[in-house]
Parts: sequence; C-alpha cells; structure tokens
Amino acid sequence: MAGPSSLRGRQSFARVDFGQRPGEVPARVCFHMALVTTAAVVLHAFKYSESSKIVRLATEDVGVQSAVAKGAMRPKSKFGARLQVLSGGVAEMYMKPNRDLHTLAAFDVTRQRSELAGDVERYVTATALAELILRLAPAEPNPTVYHYLVAMLDDLVAVDRVNLEPFGLAALWGAVGILGFAPALDGCACDGRRLPDGAAKFSIADGGFLCQTCAATSTSATTLQKQDRQTLEKLVSGNIDDIAPIPPRHAAAHRRLIVRFAECHMNEDLELKALSMWERMWSDT
Amino acid sequence: MSAIDELCSELAKLPGIGRKTATRLTYFLLKQPPDEVVRLAAAIRSVSERIRPCSVCGNLGETDPCLICEDPRRDKELLCVVEEASDIGAIERTGEYRGLYHVLGGHLSPLDGIGPEDLRIEGLRARVANGCEVREVILATNPSMEGEVTATYVRGVLENAGVQVTRIALGLPVGGDLEYADGVTIAQALAARREMPR
Ligand SMILES: [Zn+2]
Ligand SMILES: [Zn+2]
Repeated sequence: MAGPSSLRGRQSFARVDFGQRPGEVPARVCFHMALVTTAAVVLHAFKYSESSKIVRLATEDVGVQSAVAKGAMRPKSKFGARLQVLSGGVAEMYMKPNRDLHTLAAFDVTRQRSELAGDVERYVTATALAELILRLAPAEPNPTVYHYLVAMLDDLVAVDRVNLEPFGLAALWGAVGILGFAPALDGCACDGRRLPDGAAKFSIADGGFLCQTCAATSTSATTLQKQDRQTLEKLVSGNIDDIAPIPPRHAAAHRRLIVRFAECHMNEDLELKALSMWERMWSDT
Repeated sequence: MSAIDELCSELAKLPGIGRKTATRLTYFLLKQPPDEVVRLAAAIRSVSERIRPCSVCGNLGETDPCLICEDPRRDKELLCVVEEASDIGAIERTGEYRGLYHVLGGHLSPLDGIGPEDLRIEGLRARVANGCEVREVILATNPSMEGEVTATYVRGVLENAGVQVTRIALGLPVGGDLEYADGVTIAQALAARREMPR
C-alpha cells in the first residue's frame, strides 16, 4: 500500500546547509542533503553500533536505498516497533548525493504484515522475494519494482496454503522479469529463432530456452520436458490459476532453476541466502 | 604492529566501538595505574576461560549444567524459550519466574542465512520429548518479526510433544503513555487484550 499521494516523492532541502545564506545558490551540490518522503517497504534491518539500525528500503520514488535509523534500538526511540522486516510505510530520509548510506528521519507504518510471521513458509517466501529485489534491483528509481513487491507481499498474506509453493515460484519469476532478467521462452535465448512445442533445452547462463543448433554447442543446458516447460511458462507469466499441482520432484527442479537463474544473473558474487533457504524449506516440510 | 595499534584493533572489533573510540580507550588505559589495567586483562581472561554454555539449556555460566538447571527449587514443569543467554538475566531480574530455560542462540533470519539448523532446536525437542517433566513451554523470543516467526517455527516443532505452548504477551510498556506509543504496539496490545479479573 502506498502512502498518501500528497506525501509521495515530496522533496525539500533540509536545514543542513553548510555555510550558506538564505536564497544563495549552493556552490557545491554535494554539501546538500535533500529530505525525501516516499512510500517504502523494509527489505532488511540489522543492528548498527550500540543503539542504531541500518534498514534497506525498497522505495517508490528513489529505488532501493540504505539508511541508518539512529537510536532505533533504544527503548524510547521514535522508531519504536516500526522498522520490522517487510513492513510498509512512508519513509522520510535525508539523502546525500553520491552516498550509499542515508539518514532515516521517520518511518510511519501503513502496513505491518505481521500475519506473515504466523506461517514460516509464507515468511521465508516473502524474505526470498525481498532478497531478490535487494540484490538485483538497480540503484535508480523504479516504481514498478516497488509496486510489484507491495502487490506480491499483500497477495502472499492471502494466498491459499495449497497454492503457496507455486505462488512463490511465480512471484520470484515475476520479480526476475520485472528486474529485467526475464528468461527467453518463445525464441532461442541466443539467436531468437522460434522454438517448436514440446521438450526443449534451457540454459541458465544464456538466459532461457535454446534452439537445437545452439543447444548442441551449449555445455550447461538441461532438458525441460513438455509439461515442465509449460509449467515454467505459466509461472513466468504469473498465471498460477491453471497450473496442475506440481509433483514434488518437479517442484524441486523448478525451485532449483529459479535459484540458479537468479544467482547467475546477479552482478555481485553473493550467496542468495533467503532464496536458498526457500529452496530447501519445501523438502523439509 | 605496535602494542598500541594491536590493542586499538582488538577493541575496535567490539560491538558499538569504532576506530576512534578504540583509540580513545587505548590511551585512557595507558593513563591508568598498571595494576588496574592488569585487573581488567585478568577479568577478560577469566571470562574467556571459565564461562561456557550449559549443555542442557545454553545459559552461560561457570558450571555445566548451569546453576539454574541444577537448582532443585526450580519448577521443572515450566520451560521458557529465549533467543539469547542475556535474555535469561532480564527475566531472572524480575524474580517472577521459577521455571527452567532454553536458549535458542538467535532467531530465524533467512536474509542472514540463519535457519532452524543454526538454532538449538533439536536440543529443545529432546528436552520436551515424551516422558519428560515439562508441562508448559513459554515462547519468549523477541517481539520482532524474526522473533515472531521463530516462535511460530518452535510451536510447529512442539506440536505433537504433548506440552502446552504459550507465547509471552506483547503490548504496551508499563508506566508508558498510550499517546506516545507507536501504532504497531497499540495494535498488538489491542489484539492481546484480556478480560479484567473482578
Ligand atoms: Zn539458437
Ligand atoms: Zn542450564
């Protein structure tokens, strides 16, 4: 849920002007901090120094950003219980240009999503989605990513327990797509040649299905049978209503596929911890 | 590396201490009488040598099992599950709880790669296995998203253990002011309301 529209994306220059008279044009913009007000979801929050927290936020207006919430661990902090993972709200941030870490001035919760903590599988699915966005989202503003995340988190609270696993698969593939890494499904990932129906080779490194010619030279492509290919197409398009129940062994293969795909297309060589926990979790239950 | 640099970099590893504070602490120590500094060093050494986790509950102490586990006056039917050993101290200081404890050693945090296998959950399962004295398990993990989902997980693990599983109440701080409480806390307090005894 987005914050009140009147607040969205409102920017104003902060009181933190170094040595500048009123009305004077700043000589160097890097000395300026802008106060940005934007709808946001807390993707990750962790302790920082003795009493503060660092939060990673998916914001509607300024992309994925990190901010320090000073004193957030103190019992009487103005942040109170607000900075919980997956909570949505309106963030006020002092942003410095060319900096990675900003200062969180306030966070007003509009949607806490505490229901997610009442179901371990739902929770882990939500954190896997948060992690994908954290690791794959570009630093530039991308409201589409933010709105997708909010919609998926809200649906995740409500989705039927029996559909939770296919929903998670579809939500993660959808995120991969919205972040610009959608797999090639209709045409060959290497040369765009149209693919006949039926079983086909899928190459994670090349980013999708391959035609027979390209598959012959690929060392890493694996075969997806007709049924699995159809399931993948439905998952990527977010169409889980008419997916037949996925047998456990095939579901495990689908989970492995999205995890390897996401890992392969990440810029940094970081382990996707929540995503791999999500992958393992279903075999445990 | 000089002795000063060495101490600075060791101190800087402590939580909440940056390079600047580490340097300040180092020069503070250098100005103290030598026997006081030696006493501090001895205290650090003795903590590291003598304190160990209790193999039963995970509490930290000088004996194994710890003094709480060994205390015959404690109520063995009550088991309070906490995230960290330091939480035991907080509960003990209230003087209101006479049962035993179980320290999980953290909470579930998928983004940090902390899963059930990283917590002392198998030990808990064993303690609550059929035939034990435990009648009630109180889940006293933190009132955070991670603490809550950890409590949910533990409740699932204990589902068929034949014990009552309860969760500590979440709500407004005693002596606080409703007007200044955040919305999330007020909502929790409303959800956890109970009938007033006559
Ligand atoms: Zn091709
Ligand atoms: Zn003990």
